[in-house]
Amino acid sequence: MKKFYSNKVAICIFTLPTLILFTLFVVYPILPEILISLHKNDGFKSSAFVGLSNYIEVLKSPVFWKSNNNTLIIVAISTLIGIPISLLMALLIDIQTKWIKRFFKATIVFPAVLSVTVIAQMWVAIYEPQWGLLNRFLKYLGFANITMAWLSNEKTVLICVAVAFVWQYLGLNALLFYTGIKTIPKTYYEAALIDGAGFFKCSIKITIPLLQEMTKYVLFVSILGSMSQFAHVKIMTSGGPGDASRSVIYQLYYTAFSMSDFGQGSAIAVLFIIECLMITVIINKFVAREKLEF
Amino acid sequence: MGGVLILKSKISNLFIKIVLVIIGISFIFPLFWMLTMSFKSKSEVYDNPFGLPQKWIFTNYGEALKKFNFFTYFSNSLIYTIATIIITIILGSMFAYCVSRMRWKFKDLALSYTSLGLIVPVQVVIIPIFILQRQLGIRNTYWGLILPYAAFALSSCILMLYAFFRTLPKELEEAACMDGCNIYQCYFKIILPIVKPALATQCVLIFMNTWNEFFLSFILVGKDQLKTLSVGLLGFFVSIGVSDWGQIGAAMIISSIPTVIVYLISSEHIENALTAGSILK
Repeated sequence: MKKFYSNKVAICIFTLPTLILFTLFVVYPILPEILISLHKNDGFKSSAFVGLSNYIEVLKSPVFWKSNNNTLIIVAISTLIGIPISLLMALLIDIQTKWIKRFFKATIVFPAVLSVTVIAQMWVAIYEPQWGLLNRFLKYLGFANITMAWLSNEKTVLICVAVAFVWQYLGLNALLFYTGIKTIPKTYYEAALIDGAGFFKCSIKITIPLLQEMTKYVLFVSILGSMSQFAHVKIMTSGGPGDASRSVIYQLYYTAFSMSDFGQGSAIAVLFIIECLMITVIINKFVAREKLEF
Repeated sequence: MGGVLILKSKISNLFIKIVLVIIGISFIFPLFWMLTMSFKSKSEVYDNPFGLPQKWIFTNYGEALKKFNFFTYFSNSLIYTIATIIITIILGSMFAYCVSRMRWKFKDLALSYTSLGLIVPVQVVIIPIFILQRQLGIRNTYWGLILPYAAFALSSCILMLYAFFRTLPKELEEAACMDGCNIYQCYFKIILPIVKPALATQCVLIFMNTWNEFFLSFILVGKDQLKTLSVGLLGFFVSIGVSDWGQIGAAMIISSIPTVIVYLISSEHIENALTAGSILK
């Protein structure tokens, strides 16, 4: 039996293909990334070693800071507005009857399974200035004076893109919270119910604290997802008008593949990795770490 | 928990019910809107954006299919997705099995090493991957996208299957060993059939991620002939401009049909798959 489990040839056959593929495309690229960021590179050949000057260029450029701010705004909208809405939806679904639950579970994940191109284009139609859903709706409510071309206005464009993005994954997050709620044993509620605590009290004092594992997961996925936001920006606005709605990843793409400056593009990527790591550490620090066993 | 809590007041309960149904509908309404739009003429979209079409027009679909290489993009997406699923499932399950059951020195290290993939967002290594693709000579081939897809899908697949393999009893292999199976027979004939449900969940998860993937396919695929459905659809929108929303709606519906069918067939599986990921944290 022991021989069976420690067969060296078998271990190699079982693990090497994965290790090679994984190393080649996921881990190894970080090394050339750092090297490229220290060189001048036009996309075809790497020429002179330029030290940190790519980083300095990037950090000096106002467009980079603008895109970085935009990204942080998208992260803030998805965490501070999106996640609480998802959580509230999950709490409310849980107290509904069976058929509403089934209906809700079927519809809320729908946007998340559709292609991002379809969803983003649908939101372009919603924001369409002449006949778009939003402007028509505002007119109908009597707010004709605040209708506008949402996606070509520098002030509103970023929020509009963020809303489309958050909306697409709202239901998925709610479903995740709901799965978390279902795993909480009923016994936790018995005492509270005898004492006459209602839905709101139970939710705040029992359900939400017991959901911390799931909350941490949702936070992690949703923050990293909105940090690396690219598709909605590209499809809805191409970063425009001007550079008003560029995200960091859009800026990376633009620098590297439209301006053919792989050096600066890589510098942005390295800065972005550092930012992601910092955020991961912060989430781990602030959201409790101990595992709850039921 | 399910149904322990109830709202005491009937009125607020009814109110919440109504709000929830409205929210639920709002998640599918835009798609319904696109569907009605796809049957409208160019001018009717402007005059009557929301109602049902006054004059039903079916030519939008034919026009869209003529200009939009749906079948090319569709079969490309299918090739990318199926190949990614096969490679990831075979390699990932073998690796997860080996790490969870076999005895060797560096298995814990190997597991933490592969979980690095959860932290590295694919977006940040796009430039080196772009260059690597050229160096390996796989640019503008199907492999150029399949290999990075599989590599990035491996981490979560391995971790979820690892958790699953650990729950299997050791007696399975002991019995197989007594019967004279070698490790390969034991793995492919006994273990894999047992973990089929977990593999199915993984397939659904990888399908959803790969089928709708945008970033890598947008940047790594140069040739129009090899583009995926998501990227090809964007190209079609750009070529149409904002003038003919009837055709845009038709193209959106055509390209959503495959996903919707998969969703309707396996919605239970999809729910499991989407929430299965949460064991990773």
